Amino acid sequence: MTAWCEAVLAAFLLTDIMLAASSRLLHCIRIVAAQGLLLGILPLVIRSWSEVHPDQIWISLVNIGIKGVALPLLLILAMKQANVRRELEPFVGYSLSVVAVLGLTGISFWVGAQLPPPVEAGVRLAMPVAFSTMLTGLFMVMARRKAITQAIGFLIFENGITLFGTGLMIEYGLVVELGILLDVFVLVFVMGIALFQINQEFEHIDADKLNRLGDWSAPDEEDAEALPTPAEEGR
Amino acid sequence: MMVLIPILLPALMAPVIWFAGRRSSLAARVLLLVTALLHAGGTIALYRWCDAPMEGEYLGVDPLGLWVVSITSLLFLCVSLHAFFWLPMARKYEGGAHGRSLMSEHLFCSILVCFLSTMTLVALSRNFGLLWVAVEATTLASAPLICFHRSAGSLEAMWKYLLICSVGIGLALFGTLMLGVAIQPPVGAEPGLGFTVLGAACNTVNPAWFKAAFIFCFAGYGLKMGLAPFHTWLPDAHSEAPSMVSVLLSGALLNCSFLGIVRVLGVAPASLRSFCNGYLVAFGVLSLVIAAFFIIRQSDYKRMLAYSSVEHMGLLAIFFGLDEEVTGLIHMGVHSLTKMMLFLIAGNILMACGTRSVEKVRGLFERMPRTAWLWAAGMFLICGTPPSPLFVTELLLVQRAGWWLGGTILLLLFAVFCGMSMIVFRMVGGKAAPECAVSRDAERAAEKLAWLPGVLAVLLLGWGSLLIWNFMGRL
Repeated sequence: MTAWCEAVLAAFLLTDIMLAASSRLLHCIRIVAAQGLLLGILPLVIRSWSEVHPDQIWISLVNIGIKGVALPLLLILAMKQANVRRELEPFVGYSLSVVAVLGLTGISFWVGAQLPPPVEAGVRLAMPVAFSTMLTGLFMVMARRKAITQAIGFLIFENGITLFGTGLMIEYGLVVELGILLDVFVLVFVMGIALFQINQEFEHIDADKLNRLGDWSAPDEEDAEALPTPAEEGR
Repeated sequence: MMVLIPILLPALMAPVIWFAGRRSSLAARVLLLVTALLHAGGTIALYRWCDAPMEGEYLGVDPLGLWVVSITSLLFLCVSLHAFFWLPMARKYEGGAHGRSLMSEHLFCSILVCFLSTMTLVALSRNFGLLWVAVEATTLASAPLICFHRSAGSLEAMWKYLLICSVGIGLALFGTLMLGVAIQPPVGAEPGLGFTVLGAACNTVNPAWFKAAFIFCFAGYGLKMGLAPFHTWLPDAHSEAPSMVSVLLSGALLNCSFLGIVRVLGVAPASLRSFCNGYLVAFGVLSLVIAAFFIIRQSDYKRMLAYSSVEHMGLLAIFFGLDEEVTGLIHMGVHSLTKMMLFLIAGNILMACGTRSVEKVRGLFERMPRTAWLWAAGMFLICGTPPSPLFVTELLLVQRAGWWLGGTILLLLFAVFCGMSMIVFRMVGGKAAPECAVSRDAERAAEKLAWLPGVLAVLLLGWGSLLIWNFMGRL
């Protein structure tokens, strides 16, 4: 493990905390893109430069291309389409979010300490950092209201998994890249936001029907209004 | 090579159905039926290859996978038979009558066959990576099906399903990667996530990592399977989806997700098996508690069925937690068939009455006698009243579980029975409210559709009687 590698992992932790604190969506998306770039750098610096396998260069390129460039661009596009700029009323406030993310990081390092270091190579720090990134992502999914912030949260969650894969599974080659398939979900979410206009908590439904699906309210069929036809089938 | 047929065939049929179905909906429905028949044929052919040694690292047939494929294939065959008659009626009574635009039939049918293909892939994969990919694909393929009615509620259910299940699938991937770290193949062997590779190396397992891997896989696949604390998406998705899709979600997809957990159990070293079993039993019982609680106060009969699926998945987890695997697999099959029957009838009632509210459906005996009889019979079957096959499996489970656990399970099963019977009897009895029905036509159409659940009921009763006969013989 090189010093560069530690620096990349530390930067990852910093981005997690920044994400918890920022309310502007554009800012969030930029930080997520930065995480993608860090994920691209990581496989190249885990071992010294002379030991880098061609597989790792491929992984690095894919990470940068998809997580660093393509998905952030799509998210920005969806953001413009849905016309949202900020997350105004999150369920959990921003300062509290930072405290929560710090707490989650603490938990992750505790969990990481419980697990013995893996037999072969790999990075000792990768496990706790990956785990705390996953928890941060899940926290964002739960603590934010808007669909697009939830999609960003899921992308962060996924970055954590990829970080784990890249950090610990070097010898497994391209198995690591299974994580790329999770990006399909982000793609679906972005499409949902852009095409179906799922901006926030189903705002096209009246406020009193927000919890239409529940166990204690009698189901009503009659008020199910027709949806706007999605753009793809607008013929 | 034979393994590929049931996987690839439906996937290849999807574009065919899409193109052919654009012209006429009849073509789409016929092709759907043809695909289901071919898939069933392919599945039967797999039985000949069942015991052959597995050459490939990725795909292969083993008894467990074959059982799950068989259930899926049978369910899909019945469902596509039902769809053949139901789809035109749906357009007339569920779309037109409410002024809604439904999903077009050719799209619906082609997504259905894709869904079938992905579920088969789950059951036939022999590699944790591929298994995970397949489970993810089932989620993506099934999500649009929930939105058949294009109502606000179904869109919300689909979004919830995607968001929650994607997190679950992420957790499962994390668990899968950890499994790779936990089980180090012997020096010189090709590293990989194949069942055979990991199973052979399970003596060199690192216990702490394996425990962590199991917890994450259990959480991930358990979420997809609808085990208790992670079940929140399930009642929404299963009640908003059209009934024939609910059948596949409840009867086939949940089994496939459970298979993910069973595969991880399969590579667990003997010393860690009790750790895994503890989790299975604890979450199984929790699912039973939650299901019993929500069934008793349920006001929506399709949600009631969805919670009953949560209950049976909990039972399934307990079966495997107590090492009663064969009985558990029988339970899985019977539950799938019974739930199919119930969901199909629920769909017919929904078509005739236009509401999912228990309060608004009254006097089914008077208006739709066949449906009402089957609805009541299905309720008794799913609750494990003899001669239901579930009676035997649940009896064996309680016997095995011992005093405390067995008593708890019995109590919870009784609570579920009380809740379900109250709901069902309220629906079938009483005087029919005149404003409830969509039209007499819809009622008559629903009565005509009752034959398939009827056949299923007879089959299940026969199977149950055989099982009980067998069981009595063993005593």
